Amino acid sequence: MALDTDDEILQDFLVEADEIMEGLNEQLVELETNPKDSDLLNAIFRGFHTIKGGAGFLSLESMVALCHEGEDVFNILRQGERTVDAEMMDTFLKVLDILNSMFEETKSGEYPSPADPAILNHLKSYLTPGAAPSAPPTPAPEPEPEPQPVVEAVSEAADNDDITDDEFEALLDQLHGDKAPGSSADVTSKEEPAAVAAPDNDDITEEEFEALLDELQGKKKASSTTPKEPATAVETESKTFAEPEPKESEVKKEPEPAVVAASTAPPIAAAKVEPAAKPAAAAKQAETSVRVDTSRLDEIMNMVGELVLVRNRISTLETAIEDEEMAKAVNNLAVVTSDLQTAVMKTRMQPIKKVFGRFPRVVRDLARSLKKDINLELRGEETDLDKNLVEALADPLVHLVRNAVDHGIEMPDVREKAGKPRTGQIVLGAAQEGDHILLTISDDGAGMDANVLRQKAVEKGMMDEESASRLTESECYALIFAPGFSMKQEISDISGRGVGMDVVKTSISKLNGVIDIQSEVGKGTILSIKVPLTLAIMPTLMVMLGDQTFAFPLVSVNEIFHLDLTNTNIIDGQQTIIVRNKALPLFYLRKWLASSFNETERPEFEHVVIVNVGTQRIGFVVDQLIGQEEVVIKPLGSMLQGTKGLAGATITGDGRIALILDFPELMDTYARRGY
Amino acid sequence: MAVRVLIVDDSGFFRRRLSEIISSDPKLQVVGTAENGQQAIEQAALLKPDVITMDIEMPVMDGITAVRRIMAKQPTPILMLSTWSTEGAKSTLDALDAGAVDYMPKRFKDISGDQHIAQKKICQRLIHLATSFHGSNTAQLVNTTPTNVITTSRSADNKAIKLIAIGTSTGGPVALQKVLSQLPASFPHPILLIQHMPASFTPSFAERLNAQCAIKVKQAQDGDRIEAGTAYLAPGGAQMLLKGSKSHPHISIQTGEPDQTYRPCIDITLNSISQFCSAETLAIILTGMGADGREGCRVLKQSGATIWAQDEKSSTIYGMPMAIAKAQLADRILSLADIGKQLAELN
Repeated sequence: MALDTDDEILQDFLVEADEIMEGLNEQLVELETNPKDSDLLNAIFRGFHTIKGGAGFLSLESMVALCHEGEDVFNILRQGERTVDAEMMDTFLKVLDILNSMFEETKSGEYPSPADPAILNHLKSYLTPGAAPSAPPTPAPEPEPEPQPVVEAVSEAADNDDITDDEFEALLDQLHGDKAPGSSADVTSKEEPAAVAAPDNDDITEEEFEALLDELQGKKKASSTTPKEPATAVETESKTFAEPEPKESEVKKEPEPAVVAASTAPPIAAAKVEPAAKPAAAAKQAETSVRVDTSRLDEIMNMVGELVLVRNRISTLETAIEDEEMAKAVNNLAVVTSDLQTAVMKTRMQPIKKVFGRFPRVVRDLARSLKKDINLELRGEETDLDKNLVEALADPLVHLVRNAVDHGIEMPDVREKAGKPRTGQIVLGAAQEGDHILLTISDDGAGMDANVLRQKAVEKGMMDEESASRLTESECYALIFAPGFSMKQEISDISGRGVGMDVVKTSISKLNGVIDIQSEVGKGTILSIKVPLTLAIMPTLMVMLGDQTFAFPLVSVNEIFHLDLTNTNIIDGQQTIIVRNKALPLFYLRKWLASSFNETERPEFEHVVIVNVGTQRIGFVVDQLIGQEEVVIKPLGSMLQGTKGLAGATITGDGRIALILDFPELMDTYARRGY
Repeated sequence: MAVRVLIVDDSGFFRRRLSEIISSDPKLQVVGTAENGQQAIEQAALLKPDVITMDIEMPVMDGITAVRRIMAKQPTPILMLSTWSTEGAKSTLDALDAGAVDYMPKRFKDISGDQHIAQKKICQRLIHLATSFHGSNTAQLVNTTPTNVITTSRSADNKAIKLIAIGTSTGGPVALQKVLSQLPASFPHPILLIQHMPASFTPSFAERLNAQCAIKVKQAQDGDRIEAGTAYLAPGGAQMLLKGSKSHPHISIQTGEPDQTYRPCIDITLNSISQFCSAETLAIILTGMGADGREGCRVLKQSGATIWAQDEKSSTIYGMPMAIAKAQLADRILSLADIGKQLAELN
């Protein structure tokens, strides 16, 4: 039987469950450091409880069953009858993974398949008070009833003598040997809960379990790439509510009796009522949200974009007219338009928490498998950015964080020898800086040695020794983003797997983002990424090449010079210009993009725009500078679709079409490799 | 005027579902929602709802604390929506102790397999609670001065009583505590308790009563001999009958049929008693919705049993006791405090 994925109730459940799952992920990892935090235990208990409630409403029985066990265990934990240990944590995280795959199944319209009975039994085993607390799960918890009487008999025989864990295990081994020949292997691998919980017929080895999970994960990926994207609810959170925004009144569907009651209350009571009314009103606000399909938001954004273009056009026209009244009206229009633009942008905003939320788990799992001690600190989780950006940043960030864990932080012993605390620190931060977001990933690990990187580049045949020696330190660091450049001798399955750092760079560049690396040997590395707030409307620098207008994404523009271009050098066959004692490659954009290019009649001084491309700085010679303009990116027409180096087109204030440049692609297409 | 409902649940999903269900009934109106106990108290004070649905597990302040605070400030009928697990039973009973009137399963499927019927039942229950709730109710009830004993029947009071049967429903858990805790350990008669309650609740409830009372309270088991000074609680989901010979009656537990409205059912138990010792039986009907117990009392009464009913003022829900009073079956109509007191005086 299939579920109706268009069903509003189901979607409502999934949205809420998603939030809870994110919370659970973080809370569980936090629990490992504060295993006795009762607020945390309560919160996790409630998380399972609430999912169970919703799943029960929708008759998702397998989900109910799993959550029920989770809830029971946390009930015991919150009552202090047991304390969490590392093995339990592993189990819980596995439960979370299973729940996640159940959600994926549900999202794709299927009733979730029942969880492996082994894991259910394993969870049940925690409820048995007799199970030795904190000790790794000796096979004591018996899911199968048959061996139990024997155990009891034996332990009774042993009577007063305390039976040691080892003896007990030996005993159990023996028992299993008798009862289920050939299963002793399972018993010895008692580190693995899955194997232990099902010592009998349906044992599942860790590998099988992993494989299963991988398979499920694979499925999840496949299903999430299906074109039919589930609509996302835009929760108008209290933050946005605090600001007077026109949409507020529209979004509100229900009247607000709370507020009304407060305002109609007699004046004497008013003072008393007010503090109570505030939280009450807040409760109301959380409730007043409507679900909007993201495609509708895109549509609105698009129309606002058009409006911005019209405004630009009118502003340009107005300057020619020089009428005071007209100027006022145009100014007004400009203000309203940008307010509208901000408001619409805000509806698309999501806190970066959406992405950050998964990192505690990622770091914990990785650190555990690498046997490193790592503490992850998240900063600025509440920073809002465009929904598309949040999604687009997820993968690159995971890669960079994995990298910091794998390559950045040293083994505890090494750290100790170096006089550092055994526990490494990784800080993941986000902050809004003007019209862009700054993301930083910093670690207090080994740092990067520029010389090692230079040597590596030569070894890999990426450049000769001389060019390598000329690289600045930051250029050396940037090498890690070059294709095929791996820092570790042997490829570990942690960060050496799949895509490389070059893919990270490409995806960040696609978002008009810029990466910067600072590193100090022995001290650590700081990687910062700057991305624009939104992808839909872009501040640009308009320039002219010949008689054509082009738009440079402003976020990439570093500085602009008026330089004497007779004074350039050729290095390695590349024309370069010295800016503040640094040699930057210099390119004549008109050679690439303008139809008429006359080499001979060049003035001595020309405009050079220094642009950040990934981690590099490059100088571009342009004919004229027009100025800054906010533009809306329009896709190129079908004839021009896929033209290299162009991100799209836009209409300028004077009604002309300007092509928006995509620098990373432009460099790939026109410049020599290894610019 | 529509019954004004306040919904308290930390899950937005559940709040919305409940709002939909409740709003679908024209007699009900959702006037507000709250995400936790703290908000519930504030909203209750502000909105003065006629009835509140309350979740138990919530952040900031749990439902039980919220019930206690709301009942102290402005008694309002509160319907607990709880999980019907053993754990859920404990906390639900705690909530009833705190003053909640009634409870329903959070899993509507447990009410009825048919979603519409389940939803309808929730609405009906809310309307009923709002309209028949008595503010001066049980949980906070301080033993007031004994009300006048109203003797409506010709039957003499000095009959020798050998068996006591108490039937109750909504509001019953707290009422039973009040009554039974007044009895001495040496209470000379066996007591049969029929409390409408799901199967997962009755074991916890029996344990709880046993801990609170001097007499012994246990969940009745098939084959139990009835002994003096012991109260036998009919297990949920089943029927408790008196069987055996006249000299040696024992308890028989029969699986409930799905078509039976109440499992346990007061009428069924009382009917089975009438086969034995009607004249020496005292049947007491306490607070509850509906009219279960009326027919059983009628049969018992015909063969000489004594019937007491709780009075309107002290009843959380004056339904079942009212049915007894209206059918002119009650020998005495007593306040809850007096029922315990006069029961203790029996010998």
